[in-house]
Amino acid sequence: MVSFKPIKPLLQTGTKASSRWLSYIGLGAGVLLLLVSIQMFINLDQLLNKVNTRKDGFDFISISKKINDENQTIKSVFSTQEIKELQSKPFVDGVAPLIANEFRVHISAQGIFGTDLFLETLENEFIDTVPNSFQWTQGQMIVPLIISSDFLEAYNVFAPGNNLPQMSAETVTRLPITIQCSGQGKQISMQGRIVAFSDRINSVLVPKSFLDWANQNLGEVSEHGATRLFIKTKDANNPDFLSYLDKKNYLINKDKTRLGRTKQTLQAVFSGLGIFGLLVVVMALMLFSFYLQLLIARSRDSLQLLLLLGYSPTWLSKNVSRQFIPVYILIVLSALALTQVLQWAFHHTVMYDRPELSSAVNWVVALIAAGLIILSIVTNYRLVRKLVYKLY
Amino acid sequence: MYLQLQNLLPVYFEESKKQTSEIWGKDLRFEKGEMIKIVAPSGSGKTSLTHFIYGTRSDYKGTITYNDSNIKQFSFENFAGWRKDHLSIVFQDLRLFPEQTVFENIDIKRQLNAFHTVEKIKEMAERLGVGKKLGAKAKTCSYGEQQRVAVIRALMQPFDFLILDEPFSHLDTINRQIAMELMLEEAKTRAATIILADLQRVDFFPYTKIFYL
Repeated sequence: MVSFKPIKPLLQTGTKASSRWLSYIGLGAGVLLLLVSIQMFINLDQLLNKVNTRKDGFDFISISKKINDENQTIKSVFSTQEIKELQSKPFVDGVAPLIANEFRVHISAQGIFGTDLFLETLENEFIDTVPNSFQWTQGQMIVPLIISSDFLEAYNVFAPGNNLPQMSAETVTRLPITIQCSGQGKQISMQGRIVAFSDRINSVLVPKSFLDWANQNLGEVSEHGATRLFIKTKDANNPDFLSYLDKKNYLINKDKTRLGRTKQTLQAVFSGLGIFGLLVVVMALMLFSFYLQLLIARSRDSLQLLLLLGYSPTWLSKNVSRQFIPVYILIVLSALALTQVLQWAFHHTVMYDRPELSSAVNWVVALIAAGLIILSIVTNYRLVRKLVYKLY
Repeated sequence: MYLQLQNLLPVYFEESKKQTSEIWGKDLRFEKGEMIKIVAPSGSGKTSLTHFIYGTRSDYKGTITYNDSNIKQFSFENFAGWRKDHLSIVFQDLRLFPEQTVFENIDIKRQLNAFHTVEKIKEMAERLGVGKKLGAKAKTCSYGEQQRVAVIRALMQPFDFLILDEPFSHLDTINRQIAMELMLEEAKTRAATIILADLQRVDFFPYTKIFYL
C-alpha cells in the first residue's frame, strides 16, 4: 500500500488560506439554511395536517362563485361543465351541488318566530348527520329538516333580548314548524320537523326528493343550477387545490382553509429560503472548486513529476480529494447539529412541546445532509481527477 | 520482454533523417539484458527518443511496442503501472523535487514499488559521494550531486529497461565510473536492459549494441 504521507507536503496550498475558509463558511451557512428550511417545511406540514377535523379521512368544504361589481348581473351558478372539471382534478374526491329552492319559502314556529328562509338539498353522502327519518315521499305532510348547529346557537344568542325562550337541541327537534311554499300562483303549507343538526353545512337541508318535487311544482326560475358546491377532498389545505380555486375565482368556506392559506404562504417562504440555501451551497462548492483548481495549478510541477515517476493518476486524484473529506463531513455535520439545536429550541420554546412535532430533526433532513456529504465528495473527486488527467 | 522501435521518426523531423540515422526509420528490437549505447550529437533527437520510449511524449510517427503492446494504446493508468514496475529513467534535466530533501526525493520512488530497503538509500548515497547530502534540500545541491541523486532514485524500483539520458554530463571521470558500476550491478540483479543515450562515446559502458542517432 503506497503511503500518501510523503506526497502531502508536495501540494502547495499557498500562504493565503482565506478563499478556502470563505468557501468553508459559505458551505456551512448554505447547508444550514437548506437543512433548516427543509425541517421547517416538514414542521409546517406535520402541524397543519393534524389541525383539521376530518371525517372518514376526508374534508368537506363548500364553494361558491365570487360576486363582485363586474359580475353581479350575471347569474353565478356552476355549470355542468365546471362541475365536471372540478371532479376531474386529482385533489377532488367528490363534488355535489347544493340545490336551492326556486320558490318563496316562509317558515314559522308556533308564533315564536317567522321568517323568509331558503331550503337546500345535498346528496346524503356529503351530510355529516343523516338520521333514517331524513326521507320524504310525495304526499307526506311532514318534511324533515337538517339545520346548521350554528343557527341554533345564533337563535339562543338573540332570543333573550327579543323576549323569546332559549331552546335546547332536544326542544327544537320537537318543535312543530310550518313551512309555506309559494310560487306559480300556488301556495302549499307543509309541516316541518328538525331531525338533525349539522356541524358542516351552513344551511337548511331538506330531502332531495322534496326539493325536486317542490321546484318542479312551484319553481319560478327557468335556469337551474347550483350556486354552491360541496367538495369532498383528502386535504382542504392542499396548496394545489387552493390555487386552483383562486384561479377559477371560487369563494370557499374560509374557516376551513385559513390554516391552509397560512401553510401555503409559510411553505412558500421556506421553499424560497431553501432554494436560496441550495444556491449558497452551489456557490460555496464552486468557490471550493476554484480553490482546488488553484491548489492543483500551484502543485502542477510536483504532480506532473509524480505521474512521471509512475504514480497512478487515479490514486493521486483519490488521495488529493480525500484530504478534504473530513472537512466536508465536519461542515455538514456541524450544520446538521445546529439544525437539531434550532429544531429543539423551536419545538420547546415556540411550540411548547406540541405532540404533533418532534424535537429531533426529521429523517429526511438527516438523509439530505448525508446526500450533501456524498455530493461534495463525488464532485470534488471528479474535479481533481479531471485536473490531474490534464497534467499528463 | 523486449522493446521494439518500428519506422520511428519525430513528426517535426524531415523524412531525410531516416537516411543518416541508425535509429530513425529503422526496425529495431532490444531484448532484455542487452546494453544499448546510442551516440547522439546535439539536435539529433536524443531527448525526444528517450521521452518517446518512456511514454512522456507521443509526437512521433511509427510504433513503439513493449512485448507486442503499442504504447500509443496505453491508458494513463497503463503508463503509471509500467513506470512503476518495468521502466526507470534518469532524465537529462533530472527532475527532482527542489523543496524536498535528497532522501525524500529518493524515497518517494522507493515507496512506490520498493526493490530496496531504506538502508540501501544510505549505502548507495555513500558510494556515490552524496551520503552527507541526504538531509539537504535538493535545490541546495550542485548539479553534479543532483545527477547522482537522480541515478540513485532510478535504481530504487524494479525495472526491465533503464533509460539514461546524458546521466554523467556533470560528473568527473571517477564519479562517472562509480555511478556506471553501480548501475551495471543493479541492471544485472534485475537482468535488465540499459539504454544509454549520450553526446559522445562513454567509457566504462560495456555496450552490446551501439547506434548513431
